Formats: sequence, structure tokens, C-alpha cells
Amino acid sequence: MQFSSSLLEQAVNEFAKLPGIGKKTALRLVLHLLKAENSAVQGFGETMIRMRNEIKFCQRCHNVADADICSICANSMRKHELICVVESLREVIAIESTQQYSGVYHVLGGIISPLDGIGPDQLNIETLVSRVRKEHTQELIFALNPNIQGDTTIYYIQKKLQDANVRITTIARGIAFGGELEYADEMTLARSITNRMPVESYRTGG
Amino acid sequence: MLRIKQISLVGFKNYEQATFRFDKRIIGICGNNGVGKTNLLDALYYLCFTKSYFARGDQANVLRGAPGFRIEGHIDNAGQNTTVVCILRENGKKEFLTDGQPYEKLSRHIGRFPCVIIAPDDIQIITGGSEERRRFLDALLSQLNPDYLQNLIDYNRVLQQRNSFLKSVAETRLTDKHLLEVYDEQLVAAGTTVFQLRRDFLQQLLPLAGSYYTGIAGAEEPLSLGYESQLLHTPLRQLLRQGLEKDLYLQRTGSGIHKDDIDIRYADEPFRARASQGQRKSLLFALKLAEYETLKKAKGWAPLLLLDDVFEKLDRQRMRNLLERVCRQDDGQLFITDTHPERIRQEMEELGVGYQLISLPADTATTDASTRDFT
Ligand SMILES: Nc1ncnc2c1ncn2[C@@H]1O[C@H](COP(=O)(O)OP(=O)(O)OP(=O)(O)O)[C@@H](O)[C@H]1O
Ligand SMILES: [Mg+2]
Ligand SMILES: [Zn+2]
Repeated sequence: MQFSSSLLEQAVNEFAKLPGIGKKTALRLVLHLLKAENSAVQGFGETMIRMRNEIKFCQRCHNVADADICSICANSMRKHELICVVESLREVIAIESTQQYSGVYHVLGGIISPLDGIGPDQLNIETLVSRVRKEHTQELIFALNPNIQGDTTIYYIQKKLQDANVRITTIARGIAFGGELEYADEMTLARSITNRMPVESYRTGG
Repeated sequence: MLRIKQISLVGFKNYEQATFRFDKRIIGICGNNGVGKTNLLDALYYLCFTKSYFARGDQANVLRGAPGFRIEGHIDNAGQNTTVVCILRENGKKEFLTDGQPYEKLSRHIGRFPCVIIAPDDIQIITGGSEERRRFLDALLSQLNPDYLQNLIDYNRVLQQRNSFLKSVAETRLTDKHLLEVYDEQLVAAGTTVFQLRRDFLQQLLPLAGSYYTGIAGAEEPLSLGYESQLLHTPLRQLLRQGLEKDLYLQRTGSGIHKDDIDIRYADEPFRARASQGQRKSLLFALKLAEYETLKKAKGWAPLLLLDDVFEKLDRQRMRNLLERVCRQDDGQLFITDTHPERIRQEMEELGVGYQLISLPADTATTDASTRDFT
């Protein structure tokens, strides 16, 4: 692509760095911004910068938050003795959209995979373990990808909590998160949380 | 009855675009060296196994310069028509669909269209390292039992993770005992299942292969075939515990079903050291025939048989015995390649079976012009 302005070129290149956005789409977006009011573009840029600068991660569950504690954790109407353990924010958003879950969350930030350089120390596992002990959590529901690395992560955390009196369950298999998140319909997701099963029977069940 | 009726290739190996229709049970594929005979067989194999028999990575199968490939097959399975489509996208993502439905797991497809292949390099199963024999065994067992394949995939994945973890321990000097325990439990669960299935299955397969060998050799020979596994003597849990220190030192897992082998002996000496060229070929055919018969018995119909260059590179006499069996007694579909159309013609005419001959390169998008039927 040939540009008569390096400013334009830089803007296109920045958009093209985003996932799922190629050069052509990037150009379309930039040209759209070019046509828009100055103030609108100003607002757009500032929103992005503020989002990145000011966003916080909940000290309790590592979900995104506007304060030290996220709005889910701060909500006294929710069942705080019930924690759904997820890989990332995407799952929190998906499960919240079902409006069927009234517990709280814990965001691990990934799953254990030494092949990808991710050991337990890189994840929010220690905070989960101490949180369960401190808060006397009754149940952990694991909503991780139904693959062998997900299993590893569940068993590992289960091992760390062997002496704690907490029920460990997992959502029904066959629900794929991650890449397929957008396609998993809300009813199925809600049902899989309702029909969760204890981890002991998980292995043979899959 | 299993029949591939048609296959279309786009951007697959040397095929930019080609469609082949198969309307006979026996299909000869001929043409000079390098025209794509083996590639066409491999495409057929792909429809059954969701991967290539020859190339390790999917990317190697993409026509050089093309963004990806597409294989489409029309398969008639006991009167039921199925369209199987495999697409490798530009980003390396593979899609595999039957009648438009994607699989949640590719492993679910394997065994649906059972298939046996014999290619020149297969003599490695007899003479090569243990991984060649495990590959043979895994391809067969996976087609018979989807649980086997799933456990094998799980095992291999956990093994890679464990090895990676052992490496990271060497770098950071931090051993996470809990994580190692989890990996060991996962290995034990999947590995023990694989072991038991291999052990039970080989108890049937190996004697069968032995008796085919005797039949092919025409005389009783001091051949013995046996399953070899560390798990025959010690449970995997114990092996892993005992080997831990060594594993940490070597940064890889030293015991498990990834060390299994089929032990082949001739008068108590290793077969590959002792046996002649001819004896090796006999044993290869015996194993493949046992595979064919086992699949046929388990599925209730004959598997596809893909024979690559067997007259020229392997053995004409032994081949003829196999063909006798497959063409006359069974009703399975057979694809066979040769540089010489004459040779295929002669073999088939002596067997007295109808066949179709495809000459490569096909000069149009449809191969009707270069296809001829002989009944
Ligand atoms: N990814 C690829 N892109 C382009 N060409 C390829 C690719 N992979 C293989 N080929 C070409 O395909 C040809 C080989 O085809 P194939 O092995 O099917 O030949 P053949 O007809 O079986 O020959 P032979 O009689 O020697 O066994 C070679 O010319 C090779 O360069
Ligand atoms: Mg060839
Ligand atoms: Zn929170």
C-alpha cells in the first residue's frame, strides 16, 4: 500500500496490529476516523488511553475493575462462598451474559502449560489457594477448557487444597471456551453450570 | 461395503486442481516417476486418517505457493453416501467435515473409513527403530477403538508437558512436587489404558501375523513375535517413581508406553539382524495382512487397501499372493500404483478381475479422458 502521508500510514499500521484486522480493514477504519469530527476522534483516543491506564485488576478475583475490588466482588447479593474459576476475562463476560450465575469468580490468567512457558507461578493460583482458606469457600466450580492441560490445572489446584474443606466441581464437558466462545450459546453455558459434576467423577465421565 | 466414488484435490501437493472418479472396485494408477501417483494415494489416506501417511506436518502437503489445500471425497459406505471435506487454511488451521458437519475432535473420524496402506518404506516397520512399529500398531488400534486414540493423544500431550517441566526444573532449580505428581497421575491413567489395550490386542494380532508369515514363507520358521513393554513387569506409577531422579537429570521421561516395542526374533536373535531381504518382506506382508483381516473382522466389511509401488519396490510374488486374497476372496476397494500400466494390466487379467486404469498426468480437470475401464 502506498500512502502520501506517513501519519496515515502509521495509523493504518497500528490498527493492522490488532487481531483479526488486515491492512485493508485498517485503512477503512482510519479513513472513517479521518472523516469524523476532530472531537469524536479525540474522545476515541482518550477512551483507549484511559482504559489502559486506569483499569485495575480486582485484588480478590483478578477480574477487571474500576476500583481495587471489582463490581462482582463488591456485590453483597452474590454468593461469595461459591467461586467459579476461569482462565480469562472472556469467560467471566460469557458467564455473566447468561445471567444465571450468582456466585463470584477467580481469574487464573491461563492454564498450566510448561510447553508454553506457563508454570503455576505465572498464574493466580497462590491467591486462589489462600483465598479459599481465608474465606472458607464452600465450592470451586472450574470452567476451564475441556482438554488435558485444563485437567492438569484442576488436579493441581485440587492437590493444593487437599486439606481444605471445599467441594470441587467442573462444568459439563463439551463446552468449549476460548476460540469457540462466541458460538457457545448462553443456554448451554448456563445449563452446564447447573449440571456441574464433582471432579472425582470427571475423569471417567469424559 | 466401503467405496470411495470420487476425490477432488485443490492445492494438494503437486495437484493444483484435479478430480478423479472411481467406478470400479480395483483402481490402477499409473504414470512416470514424479507425476503424483503416491500423492493421490496419500490424499485417499488423508480422507481416512485426517493426516498424511508420508509428511509429518500438514504444511508440507500444500502445493508450493498455494495458500492451503482442499480434499473432497465422496464415499459410499454400505449404500450411505458421505461427503468428506478436509481444508487446510492459510493460517494453518485444519477443518474436517463430514456432510458439512465439523468434528469436535478429529480423533472421532479415525476408524470410520478403515484403511490399510503398504508403501515401499514400510519395510522400516521390520528393520527400523521401535517408533516405526508403534506407529503401525497405533494406526491399527486407533481405527478399532476411539478410546485408544484419545488416551494415546492425552498421554503424548502430558508427556510433552512433563518433559518441558523437567527442563524448566533444570533451569530454575525449583521442583514443584505437586505438579509432578499430577503429571504422573495423568500419565498413569492414560498410559495404563494404552498398555492394557496394546497387550490384549497383540495377543490376537501377533499369532495371526505369525501364521500368515508361515503361509507366505511356505514352511515353518523359528519366528517369534512378542509385545515388549516396561509395564509388563512393573506398574507405570512405580516406574515413574523409581525413574524420577534420572528423569530430572536427563530432563526427559525415561519410562512409559512411549518405549514399547514389538519384539521380533528369529531363532532367538533379533530378526532384523538375522533375516534375509525376502524374509523381511514376508513378515511385512504378514503384518499388513493381519491388519487387513483384523479390521475387516472388527468392522464387518473390508477396509480400503492402498498399495504404493509394491510390484517394483517390494515384491511381485508376495504381492500376487496378497492380491489373490484381497481381489478374489474379499470385496474391498483397492488402489494400486505402478509406473508401468502393462504390469497392472497383466496382474489383473491373470487374476481375472475388472479394473479401472487412471493414467497420470490427467490432462483435463476431469480425468475421464485418461480413465479406461476393463471388465
Ligand atoms: N507441497 C508440494 N508442492 C508442490 N509439489 C509437490 C509437493 N509435494 C510433492 N510435490 C511434487 O510431487 C511429485 C511427487 O509426486 P509423487 O511422489 O506422488 O510421485 P510418484 O508418481 O509417486 O512418483 P514415483 O513413481 O517416483 O513414486 C514431485 O515432483 C514433488 O516435487
Ligand atoms: Mg511414488
Ligand atoms: Zn473481584
